[in-house]
Amino acid sequence: MKKKVTLLVMLVGIGLATAFWGRMVGAQPAPRRVEVVSKRFAFDPGELTLKKGQPVVLVLKSTDVAHGLRFRELNLDVKVDKGGTAEVPFTPTKTGDFVGHCSVFCGSGHGAMTLTLHVVE
Amino acid sequence: MRSLSLLIISILAIGLAGCKATPPAKFETKSVVFAKHHIFVGNRKQKNPLPDTVQTRADGKEAFTHYCVACHGMDGQNTGVPFVDHLSPPVPSLASPDVQQYTDGQLKWVLDNGIWPSGMPGSKGTLSDDELWSIVVFLRHLPPAGSQGTPDMYNH
Repeated sequence: MKKKVTLLVMLVGIGLATAFWGRMVGAQPAPRRVEVVSKRFAFDPGELTLKKGQPVVLVLKSTDVAHGLRFRELNLDVKVDKGGTAEVPFTPTKTGDFVGHCSVFCGSGHGAMTLTLHVVE
Repeated sequence: MRSLSLLIISILAIGLAGCKATPPAKFETKSVVFAKHHIFVGNRKQKNPLPDTVQTRADGKEAFTHYCVACHGMDGQNTGVPFVDHLSPPVPSLASPDVQQYTDGQLKWVLDNGIWPSGMPGSKGTLSDDELWSIVVFLRHLPPAGSQGTPDMYNH
């Protein structure tokens, strides 16, 4: 009887420890949300600084027509419908200055609609 | 005084006669093509910074669809463009040797600056450098003439 109780206590202990450890490991802070507002023919802010390896959620909002934000070198492209909001998780993997462009044709100034991203250590 | 008026009218008449929208003569075409390739269109040596991949061609096709199809058709060969026979100089097929013989850098220059006095406008600022270079890639791999149908804007 004593053996059975000891075994039961051990099993419960192992179960609790496993559950607690899992929570400890999985408990990471939610990624920072970085908002960018797009409207003809500019992004606001026009420059962003992010840390290499630090995950963020890029939130792209439109206050007029459909827009997009694309960094070819970083393999990042997010598109947003007119007046809408789009989100994409993003973790910069290399440092440097990168220029993103609007990736949805939005009119005569579309080609000059850029956002500069600085990725630092 | 009368002879001065006649002279001015004559000069104006000659000038206006040059504005007729008739097809250019063979010699005129050859001279202009030579001048464009060797004198006016710059940027001969610049290389395309984008790789020639399926993705880049698709990007180029998309950018082309936004801005170029009104005059050049979906296939770059004027298919379905209703006014193509009424312009002088005519809208060239982008698959023609005259166009394909430009270097990548020259094609980008034409896209940036246009060709005066033809109807070809410059696109700098309207499309990004990235999009313009991807269009250059697309131009090197145009689909067969007629295979893409008529631009949507002419279907209504």
